[in-house]
Amino acid sequence: MEENFMNVRRILLCLFLSVLTGLSTATAYAASDSNGVTLYTPYTKISVSPGQSIDYSIDVINNSKEQQTAELALSGVPRSWKYQIQSGGWNISQLSILPGEKKSFSLKIEVPYQVNKGNYRFKLTAGANIEPLALTVNIAEQGTYETSFTTDQPNMQGHSGQNFTFRTTLKNQTANQQLYALMADATRGWTVTFKSAGQSVTSVEMEANSSKDITVEITPPAEIGAGTYKIPVSAETSSTSAKLELEVVITGSYSMELTTPTGLLSAEITAGAQKKIQLSVRNTGTSVLSDISLSSSTPSKWQVEFDPKKIDKLLPGKDAQVTATIKADKNAIPGDYVLNLESRTPEVTAKATFRISVQTSMLWGWVGVLIIAAALGSVFWLFRKYGRR
Amino acid sequence: MKIHHTNASGWLGNSGKISHPFWVIVQKEVADYVRSWRFVILVALIVLTCAGSMYTALTNFSKAIKPNDPEGTFFFLKLFTITDGTLPSFFVFISFLGPLLGISMGFDAINSEQNRGTLSRVMSQPIHRDYLINAKFVAALTVISVLFFALGFLIIGLGLITIGIPPTAEEFLRMIFFLALSIVYVAFWLNLSILFSVKFRQAATSALAGISVWLFFSVFYNLIINLIAKAFSPSPMATEYQVIGYQKMLLNLMRISPSQLFSEGTTTLLMPSVRSLGPLTMEQVQGAIPSPLPLGQSLLLVWPQVTGLLAGTIVCFALSYVAFMRKEIRSR
Repeated sequence: MEENFMNVRRILLCLFLSVLTGLSTATAYAASDSNGVTLYTPYTKISVSPGQSIDYSIDVINNSKEQQTAELALSGVPRSWKYQIQSGGWNISQLSILPGEKKSFSLKIEVPYQVNKGNYRFKLTAGANIEPLALTVNIAEQGTYETSFTTDQPNMQGHSGQNFTFRTTLKNQTANQQLYALMADATRGWTVTFKSAGQSVTSVEMEANSSKDITVEITPPAEIGAGTYKIPVSAETSSTSAKLELEVVITGSYSMELTTPTGLLSAEITAGAQKKIQLSVRNTGTSVLSDISLSSSTPSKWQVEFDPKKIDKLLPGKDAQVTATIKADKNAIPGDYVLNLESRTPEVTAKATFRISVQTSMLWGWVGVLIIAAALGSVFWLFRKYGRR
Repeated sequence: MKIHHTNASGWLGNSGKISHPFWVIVQKEVADYVRSWRFVILVALIVLTCAGSMYTALTNFSKAIKPNDPEGTFFFLKLFTITDGTLPSFFVFISFLGPLLGISMGFDAINSEQNRGTLSRVMSQPIHRDYLINAKFVAALTVISVLFFALGFLIIGLGLITIGIPPTAEEFLRMIFFLALSIVYVAFWLNLSILFSVKFRQAATSALAGISVWLFFSVFYNLIINLIAKAFSPSPMATEYQVIGYQKMLLNLMRISPSQLFSEGTTTLLMPSVRSLGPLTMEQVQGAIPSPLPLGQSLLLVWPQVTGLLAGTIVCFALSYVAFMRKEIRSR
């Protein structure tokens, strides 16, 4: 019996010691409560930007010997902020904890876009007897409630006839999903196309706080002079809009046309003879063309001479007359030949392909006629000499 | 010419006026030709061969149209030129049988009359002496012309029925020129045989002479040209100009033969894409587009050939004329 009593005493001592140490640890966790329930989260001060949401994981620890119920509520939160307390997949407002156990739940706080910079403090309370948990949210920047439409490179340079492709980013920084109409206020003749994910679009639907890359393709009119042109583009909904001004610098185009005044690109020529063809060189671009040289690629032994050989300067929209003297090879066979004429500047070349019908000289035809006439004449002479006697 | 008892109606024109004696002789000669068995046999031969070539041309017509053919717009002309290899085409038949027709119509023109003794009886009439030979020639030419144009239009008509597309104006003119060239070609052989008929007393001799000339040009002349070509063939090291000169020499030798002139002429007229008849240098070909020639240029291209044939015809006629006028015609 003595031995049994000694054992009971030892067990009691151990129990006592363990209770003592448990109490002392509870006091170390938080301010000790009368009923021993504590709220705990490691991140008590968080820095976020407007529009972000914060997901706290909070533990409720029951140090008492009884089951405890925590009445969960958040106080001091600005009205426009939204929060949810969830655990086990449910939205909860009460949480019961078994003695000596802990239970965790999540607190989700959505920071709105329209929020001032600064520290926001609020308290998570769990009941009258439980020490509330103080939480601080630091808003690092001034919040907005609008759409942003931006591009890294709002200016581009090129010549007319070229497409200008701007890469822009549209951000929906409002709290709601938005359907943006994409619009461009370009002057007549300009073509502005919006593309999202490779598709041409006129509107885009965007979730709150999302961004989308939008490609703006701008085609200038064909007949446009050099200069700087501003193309305002915008993304609009009924409640919000964003504008972006794109700038296109046209340097002017180089374009030239080589033809004849009548447009006729065929000619007839007698083998070995010369033929003059009027050519007209037209500046169809928007820049001045200078030092236009003329050249030809001909069938072998043909010659082409130009007068003048060179055009010094040709203003946009103007044309210059050139006379080409074509000399066909005297052995050219009758029929069609191809003759290429070319006008060239360092910037641009223009080509005209002529179809030259070669005719043979009538000379030998007349010689043949003379031979036949001589033969007939001799017969006639024979008639006169022998016939009538 | 056989002397018939003439009735007045045969010698009268449509208006009832008495015809010029020359045209009376021509009419009689034409009548003689048309009624002779010789002519009927020859016409039957020519019509049969032409029908054969026509048949092969029409059966192969669909195969003859190729894409990107510069002569694609001239497919009516192909009636005269296409063949499937079993029978020669129309113009080859003409170049082969035409001389035979000409020789057969002229070889006994004068000498048979002389041998029958009718020549002096005709000459006793109050007409000029040259009326006879002129009328012989004009009558034969009339018959040949009518025959050839009839054949040509027969082919055009048959082609129209089977193809259903009318020829263009240029195609039609080319066909007319082809027929005219054929007539000139046959007229050459006609005059040659008339010349022989004046020169030789025996009809058989003059016929043989005409046929031997024809055979010489159609068979032996090519053999002789080949012999010359081998003898003068340039070495493989020869320059381009030497080769061209050699080819031109051979071609000019070939052109002594009337059939060569005729075939070059018909080829150019019936195939508008033929742009040159001689050898060509690369320089001439460079930059040239394969395109058909306009009719005027084709005619200009074959004008030397036409001139040669026409001049040959006229020279043969002049020779036979002179020979006939100087001939002693009274005795047998």
